[in-house]
This record gives sequence, C-alpha cells and structure tokens, in this order.
Amino acid sequence: MKQESKNSFSKDILNIENIQLEAERISGKLKNDILGVLKRKGAVIGISGGIDSSVTLALAVRALGAEKILGIMLPEKDSSLESKEFALKLADKFKIKTIDENITDALIGIGCYRRRDEAVSSVFPEYNPYDFKMKIGINQSGLNQFLPPVFSLTIIDKKGISKSKILPIREYLQIVAASNFKQRFRMSMLYYHSERMHYAMIGTPNKHEVEQGFFVKNGDGGADIMPIAHLYKSQVYQLAEYLGVPQEIIKRTPTSDTYSAEQSQEEFFFQMPYQEMDLMWYGLENKIPPDEVGKLLAKTTEEIDMIYNNLRRKQKTTEYLRMAPIKY
Amino acid sequence: MENTLQIQEKIKQFILKTSYISADQVNNHTLLFQEGIMDSMGFISIIDFIEDNFSITTTSNDLLESNFESINAIANFVSLKISVSENCFT
Repeated sequence: MKQESKNSFSKDILNIENIQLEAERISGKLKNDILGVLKRKGAVIGISGGIDSSVTLALAVRALGAEKILGIMLPEKDSSLESKEFALKLADKFKIKTIDENITDALIGIGCYRRRDEAVSSVFPEYNPYDFKMKIGINQSGLNQFLPPVFSLTIIDKKGISKSKILPIREYLQIVAASNFKQRFRMSMLYYHSERMHYAMIGTPNKHEVEQGFFVKNGDGGADIMPIAHLYKSQVYQLAEYLGVPQEIIKRTPTSDTYSAEQSQEEFFFQMPYQEMDLMWYGLENKIPPDEVGKLLAKTTEEIDMIYNNLRRKQKTTEYLRMAPIKY
Repeated sequence: MENTLQIQEKIKQFILKTSYISADQVNNHTLLFQEGIMDSMGFISIIDFIEDNFSITTTSNDLLESNFESINAIANFVSLKISVSENCFT
C-alpha cells in the first residue's frame, strides 16, 4: 500500500489515516478483479481463525456479499482446536457458508507425518508422536549478529519437559518438506472447491509473509488473488477492528499452527513482535537511517544495521519462493 | 589431534566446495556471512561439517559471530571444543 508522506519516522507512521476509504478501495478492487478480470462468480477462502484470513474474508464479503463467499476450514490432527472454533465464529459473524474439510487422512496417506517423524526421530531417538509434541523454531540470537538464522528442533514430553537441538541440514529439510504437504494439500482442496463453484481462490498472506518468504511455494503462496499482500501486520489489525472481526481473533497470538507443539509466528520465523517488525521493514524499504529507527525503538544504530542486514538476507534467500517458473 | 592450521584448511576446502567460489575470493579472515560467501543453508552445512568431521557438538549458545564469522573463527571454535572435550576425558 502506498504510504502517505509524513515528515518524520514515528510509531504511527503506518496508521491508515482513512480506514473506511482503504477498506472500500480494497473491496472495490477485489470485486472488479474477481468478476471482471478473473471472470469468476464468487470466492473461496481458507479460514484458519487467524487475523489474516479473517480480514481477507471480511473484505471479500464487503466486495461480493456473503452469499458469494465460501469459507473452508482445513484442520488436521496437529491443528489447534481454537482454530476451528474461531473460524466458525468468524463465519457466523459475516454470515457465510462454510465447509469443514479435515485433511488428516489425506496427510496420513501421503506420508506427511511419517516422513516428518522419521526425521525428528533421527535427531531425538526417544521421540514418538504419541508421547511427545514437536516444533521447530528459529534461533533468537541470530537477529543481532551478522549470522544467518539456524533452526532448532524441540520435543516436549507429556510432563512438559522439553529438549532442543540444532537441526542438522538433512533433517531440517525433511521436516520442512514433509510439513509443507499440509499447506500444499490445503491449496489443492481450496482449488477443488473454487473450481467446482466456478469461484476464485483468495489467498491471505500479508506483506511480511510475502516479502520475507513466510509461505509455502505452491501451498499457501498459491492463489488467484492476494488482497492484503500489501499490508503491514499492524494495518491488518487496524482493518480487523474497522471491519468488525471478532475480538477473540484480534487478541489471539498469531501462530504457525503447523507443528504439534504450540508456537507463535514470532518464535517460528519473525524473531520480533509484529509492531517492531512493521517499523523495521518500513525503515528498510524507505531507507530510513538506522540511527533514526534506533532512536524510536530504543536500539543502537549497530543493532538496527544488523537487523536490516538480516531482513535483507531473508528477502534474498526467499526470492526463489516468489519466482514464477522459468519459462523457455 | 589436528592442529588449528589443519582444521582451517579442512574448513576452507569445505567452503570452497559448497559455495562455488574460487580460492582467491576467500582467506582465513574473510567475513563469510557479512560478505555473502555463505547463506543460511551454508551456515547449517558448516555446523554439520564440523560436527561430523571433528566429533564435536554445537549448541544454541555457540551460535555467535565470534565463533563463525570467518574460517579462522570457526577453526578456533573447533579447536576449543576439541580441547574441552579431551579435557573431559582425561
């Protein structure tokens, strides 16, 4: 989204000044793109009970009317029960039809859990999915250094005792590749419903997810249209309040909802609270000098330099995810 | 036990092999990550390489720039880990 010019870098620089106008602008464009450009008669959205899919759905309802929107819940055995509960509250609030597609059996059939657990067991031989929960996360220390992030694997037993180890490359890649079946299978199911209804499929990533590569290529990164891909996370929250997204969803901590152990998006990928991430990313994109960003966020110029460097690296190393197929 | 120079050489050969750069582009003091020689996959590969080849274990607390910023830093880190582990068994 184009930012209004402001004199100085401040905490409110990302506030959308005329929220009604922005909601109307996005929903107007969405209507035109779905009906006029994509030539589809409605839209399908995967709803997870998270803030991004909720705002996307609210905008789509505003664009086309509730009767032309279909919300699909796609839980699997590692999903939080809260996700479905919140998705239903959202559907109820915006009066849309929903379909519940549990994808666990499909994921079992394709070997998602088996392949993932095989890699986890090779790092922690005592691991089994019945007695332990697992998650992977990025090391927090990397942010303030000129070192790339490294992922650690954590297993948690039924007493809550956890163990963590740095993930070797082979196991890291296998866990990620196996887990990505979840997002790719969700994408397949969403397209099944969108094709059967002659609807468009609306993707729900925000600006950080797209630009820092926090999505699965041909998974949640696969859609016909992405109406909030230009919005910083704090702007997504601002729109959520304006559009009347249920407060439980607005107050919920954004999670990855991918691994059996609970995990916030901050812990898994972003390494800092979204309010800080928004300002950092804005500073980087708009070439705000590190000392100015540092003053606002109570960090040294060197710390901001390193964070800028890490964000640039994330953007560069995830270019592959955003690339269209190379065609000859 | 290998000395630090031998460790340096092994690490250098690994980096040359995996980063597709020529030998004249990197020396023992080159800042591998700051100068873009190695990326995040390269970093994990280095950790795997030193663990497999020098029988050491890296923990989250070891993930410091001072231990990994250059071939020299990595070799010193490996030497220190080896000597700590040997002292534990003597």
